[in-house]
Amino acid sequence: MAKIPSGKLPDGAGWQPALPKAERDTVMSATIGPARSRVDGRLKVTGAAKYSVEFEVPECAYGWTVESNIAKGKITAIDAKAAQGAPGVLAVLTHLNTPKFKSAPKKEGGGGGSGIRNEERFPLNDDEVHYAGQYVALVVAKTIEQARHAASLVLVSYAPEEPLLTMEAAEHKAEKPKKNNDEHVQIKKGDVEAALKDASLVKIEQTYITPTETHNPIEMSGTIAVWEGDQKLTLYDATQFVKGVQNILAHAFGLELENVRIICPFVGGAFGCKGAVWMHVLLAAMGAKVAGVPVKMHVTRRNMFVGAGHRTPTRQTLSLAATRDGKLQAIQHVSETLTSTVGQFTESCGARSTGVMYESPAIRVEETVFPVNVSTPTFMRAPGECPGTYALECALDELAIALKIDPVALRLANHADNHPIKNVPFSAKHLKEAYQLGAEKFGWAKRNPEPRSMRDGDLLVGWGMATATYPAHKMSAAAKVQLRANNTATVQCATHDLGTGAYTAFTQISSEQLGLPFENITFELGKSDFPFGPVAGGSNSTGTVGTAIHEVAGLLHKALAELAVKDSKSPLFNLKTDDIAMVAPGRIGLKNDTTKSDAYADILKRAGKDSLEVQSEQKPPEENKKLAFQSWGAHFCEVKIDPLLPRVQVTRVVSVMNCGRIVSAKTARSQIMGGVVMGIGMALTEETSYDPGTGLPVTRNLADYHVPTNADVPEIDVAFVGEPDFAFNPIGARGMGEIGITGIAAAIANAVYHATGKRIRDLPITQDKLI
Amino acid sequence: MSEIGLTVNARKRVVNVDDDMPLVWILRDTLALTGTKFGCGVGVCGSCTVLENGKAVRSCQIPASEAKERAFVTIEGLSLDASHPCQRAWLEEDVAQCGFCQPGMILTACGLLRDHPNPTDEEINTVMSDSVCRCGTYPRMRKAIRRAAALLREQKR
Repeated sequence: MAKIPSGKLPDGAGWQPALPKAERDTVMSATIGPARSRVDGRLKVTGAAKYSVEFEVPECAYGWTVESNIAKGKITAIDAKAAQGAPGVLAVLTHLNTPKFKSAPKKEGGGGGSGIRNEERFPLNDDEVHYAGQYVALVVAKTIEQARHAASLVLVSYAPEEPLLTMEAAEHKAEKPKKNNDEHVQIKKGDVEAALKDASLVKIEQTYITPTETHNPIEMSGTIAVWEGDQKLTLYDATQFVKGVQNILAHAFGLELENVRIICPFVGGAFGCKGAVWMHVLLAAMGAKVAGVPVKMHVTRRNMFVGAGHRTPTRQTLSLAATRDGKLQAIQHVSETLTSTVGQFTESCGARSTGVMYESPAIRVEETVFPVNVSTPTFMRAPGECPGTYALECALDELAIALKIDPVALRLANHADNHPIKNVPFSAKHLKEAYQLGAEKFGWAKRNPEPRSMRDGDLLVGWGMATATYPAHKMSAAAKVQLRANNTATVQCATHDLGTGAYTAFTQISSEQLGLPFENITFELGKSDFPFGPVAGGSNSTGTVGTAIHEVAGLLHKALAELAVKDSKSPLFNLKTDDIAMVAPGRIGLKNDTTKSDAYADILKRAGKDSLEVQSEQKPPEENKKLAFQSWGAHFCEVKIDPLLPRVQVTRVVSVMNCGRIVSAKTARSQIMGGVVMGIGMALTEETSYDPGTGLPVTRNLADYHVPTNADVPEIDVAFVGEPDFAFNPIGARGMGEIGITGIAAAIANAVYHATGKRIRDLPITQDKLI
Repeated sequence: MSEIGLTVNARKRVVNVDDDMPLVWILRDTLALTGTKFGCGVGVCGSCTVLENGKAVRSCQIPASEAKERAFVTIEGLSLDASHPCQRAWLEEDVAQCGFCQPGMILTACGLLRDHPNPTDEEINTVMSDSVCRCGTYPRMRKAIRRAAALLREQKR
């Protein structure tokens, strides 16, 4: 291989030096909120935080499922006699005796309240089998052991049919969806073919494979269903969307919405697999209805691989053409993914990476989806962006090597100031600073670009980098606040804390927006009784619920102003409420003459009120079509590999993110770290394998599915750049739950190439592939 | 079903359960001590960890028939006010995210610090890598263990 010139920090197109340190610190203090510790930390270190299936419900029975062992066909007979007669059994439900579920809500896109059904069918309502592992019977018994024993006695006979299990087998059923929700996923700009045929350009064409991955939060999904009569239902459900569960259950059982209550104050991790209503939720409610007792259903770890979604496998072919000085002339991103035959979930890899990331006169994105007889996939942390950035960012690394250009310089040369398809400017984009700060912190300038050139003793050392990106999503929410005369307040929204730090971030936003001390705020979430909160997905919660808190704080200040202007003892007596706003913590006053002001507590006391309560309305979010809103970042990582036993050890990661305002410094940093850790798993260890004959997963526990643990994870240096994105929302925050996992698998794969000279294009990068 | 006597958090308890019921379900469902979590059932995730004579053991791997006449400490028994040095260190480093694996992690750390009062990174990695946190709290967990070790040494002085 020709000697590549030593990598120096580039001086690419449009490169701007970062701000001087003092100036950078001033900007960042407005951008990064105070480093508060988690408000729920104490509950979590004493075992007192109550997760869904931990609520104590008297006389609660247990549900246990029977699963299909064929992938496609019909149930011809079920013999449930022995199970029905087994000790403790209260009911055995099969398609032969289960009452029909009533209806499903009409589907709405985005963050609407309709709820999410990835598997678009009802359980135990017909004799069809669509995938192996499908629930074909439910046993309800007094104890979990009795339920499990009785389930083993249910005999199911099938008429199996030939299942479709691979892309090749499902070729004739393949579809090219036009849209994923509202987003176009087949993109064509400029003449890609001409550029790919142009002999004067440097080209790369490669195919990248990602396997099925499974979320595996440590809290498995679970539900307790409790009926009061036949019209009122309460569910303690591990969910990312209490309002969605409420709506779907209300439709499924024909109940009034307000008679269905969903409770979920803590979620033990979710990463996407608790966003939709899966079959066990409907079964718990149906089992409780039929058996006439409350029913608790734990989804077993085994069934978490089948009954709660997964990240679908992808095959992505990237074709790049660039001038010799590194300007992209064409990017073509063709992705092929699987979905199930009973859902429409798709993983839009190309649209969500190539469709937004780099400037190029010609871009084509194609997406093909193959429906197979495997359980239904779902969102898993950055669905589309995560595998999409893996493929694109590896291809860019291959192009940088072919061009003998530093990988950072190549990215700078193709930086997109404007959205490459919508052609509007990105709002508050500071990706160049992220590259610069990341490169500085990492020491990238010392990188010798020659593969296998860097060593630590006997170990090969590799340095790789990649860009991270995730869109800023906006949904709608409402909030309620009760202000008390002692200057404390309770704020409520039916939102969720999956471990993200939502309790803490919303307490901080409430404190700032209401003008009350942090310690005086109680923020409550996780109940469908509260005002609308959208699904905790798409990294939308901080911005969306933050906006609702901003609105309700305005309403509270207005309500206080209305009391003050009618009160002859108030300095604000007889003034116009429109001229009044919060002027200092705990005080409203005249906007243009802050000497005239009044304290919340005094206003309430003089009005003879102990408290004041206001609620905001849920309304569709305002759209700004003049700008594109997207978060950005850069990962730099180091791997060390023993050449004789090539196990990849990630030894150092620097991740610099640009996500608008960072509301809560500590919890935000933890979110990025968590994304990086999950990305290490994606790159090196995680894969759900299927039996090619039955389509059943063979990795169905945490011993076979390898999630990163302590020794796999190095110190991770997380930093933030940028400014609050107030064009996006009044909080200035674009969200950060997902961006951390984008790009990191590519940064690791690129570092592995740099260390070994071997390019592994199918994840995970296990030892066997490097030998 | 059998009557089984055991000690949990220094309190003698008698439960009437199936002989095969794992200790984790006795704790969670019979004694309502839900701080002990169920994460895998095959002894690989560590979220069901409890202490026995200061040593970390996995409650999903101990059937009722073997748990009898033994004494265990759960996260609730460590302290309810987060005053134990491991809990304090965990709070000071803001380790938890979703929190689900954390009681098991804290008790595993207690076991580690009993055997290695001043653990090296390698000792931390060796012991802690048998437990799984999907949120990825590992770097803060390592810091918290070093901090807890210092707090415990101070306490002994």
